[in-house]
Amino acid sequence: MDFKDYYKILGIDSDDDKKTIKTAYRKLARKYHPDVSDHHDTENQFKEVTEAYEVLKDVTKRAEYDEICQYGGAQQEFNPPPGWQPSDSASDASGSRHQDDFSDFFSSVFSAKGGPQARGFKSGQSFGQRGQDVETDLAIFLEDTLSEGSKTISYHLPHHDNQGHVTNVNKTLNVKIPPGITDGERIRLKGQGAQGVGSGASGDLYLKIRLVPHSLFDVEGHNLIITLPIAPWEAALGGKVTLPTLMGNIQLTIPANSQSGQRLRIKGKGLPGKQLQGDLYAVLKVVMPTSSNESVKEQWQQLADLAPFDPRADWSDAS
Amino acid sequence: MNDSKATYLSFTEICLQTGAAEATVIEIVEQGIVEPTGAGADEWLFSPAMLIVTKKAVRLHLDLDMDWAGIALAIELLDEVAQLRERNRYLERRLSRLVDL
Repeated sequence: MDFKDYYKILGIDSDDDKKTIKTAYRKLARKYHPDVSDHHDTENQFKEVTEAYEVLKDVTKRAEYDEICQYGGAQQEFNPPPGWQPSDSASDASGSRHQDDFSDFFSSVFSAKGGPQARGFKSGQSFGQRGQDVETDLAIFLEDTLSEGSKTISYHLPHHDNQGHVTNVNKTLNVKIPPGITDGERIRLKGQGAQGVGSGASGDLYLKIRLVPHSLFDVEGHNLIITLPIAPWEAALGGKVTLPTLMGNIQLTIPANSQSGQRLRIKGKGLPGKQLQGDLYAVLKVVMPTSSNESVKEQWQQLADLAPFDPRADWSDAS
Repeated sequence: MNDSKATYLSFTEICLQTGAAEATVIEIVEQGIVEPTGAGADEWLFSPAMLIVTKKAVRLHLDLDMDWAGIALAIELLDEVAQLRERNRYLERRLSRLVDL
């Protein structure tokens, strides 16, 4: 197993005092705490920092650890010294929820019970222990929110064997998706989490809904936004265009003299809500043709000569 | 299949699932960190989202040695940051449809 350099993990020197250790730990704990950190997957770093602090804050454990270091444990590959009896000083470290997840190195040095034990498997609690709750994301397409449907999900569940070892098992489940579900909403599936121990009930499964970004539609509450590219003459003269919606194509009338950025509301073509059906907004985007021939250029020139239009009229006050 | 009746959690269930003492959950409610429906603890009903927030509050209390008022503020700010990030992602997506970024 790998040796853990607890001083290095906390970024301190081996002769630093308790106060320095505490400050270093608190700063790193705030930085890596999975509930606070901006980055994903900081849980392992947080556990490592907590494990280091668990040892170094305690005079006895720190002395034992320093002894290991002196023996020459500070090599990559660690084996306890011959005749080393793991102390049970870990057992008085109550209050730390992460102790069950500490490294093999920690267990070999401090735990007489041998090997990390699964969370919830502390001695004396082995009967009637409720199974762990499991949280996972469920990605769904906008189309799936329109009507009630079901989705098959597959997720990992921790499974504890009789020795308290934990393995991951795969579980597949059919989940009912209520219509009008929104991004970030949570669904609770009672009893679909990890199995309980002994007479303990199973934990629950919590699904967090994540709406998959759509290639055409953006979501604003229950409303949908679509960017609708139009030609300059469609903006000037108005006209009818075919507009895709989640429920199929419709014909949309563009009013004459429309502006780029203007929003046209199409009632009831948004996402279903708990009370109200959302709307669809088409945001106009006037797009110029990328090339033009001589005859088209001539027409533009005529337009430029005829139209009394200064798009920068507002600037004249400022200059 | 999911059962809509199983959506909300009672006070007892919240304590069981967060591993927190009753007094801790009451403190979390009194700080306004979560706001269950119902008049008193016996009638409280917590949404799944409230369970997740309660778990987060309990973890912050244990791991970072924070007091409850600090946790209430931290959770509020973290929530605000999450909302702003989401809004930023949304606006970036919208903007990229209108102009070249």
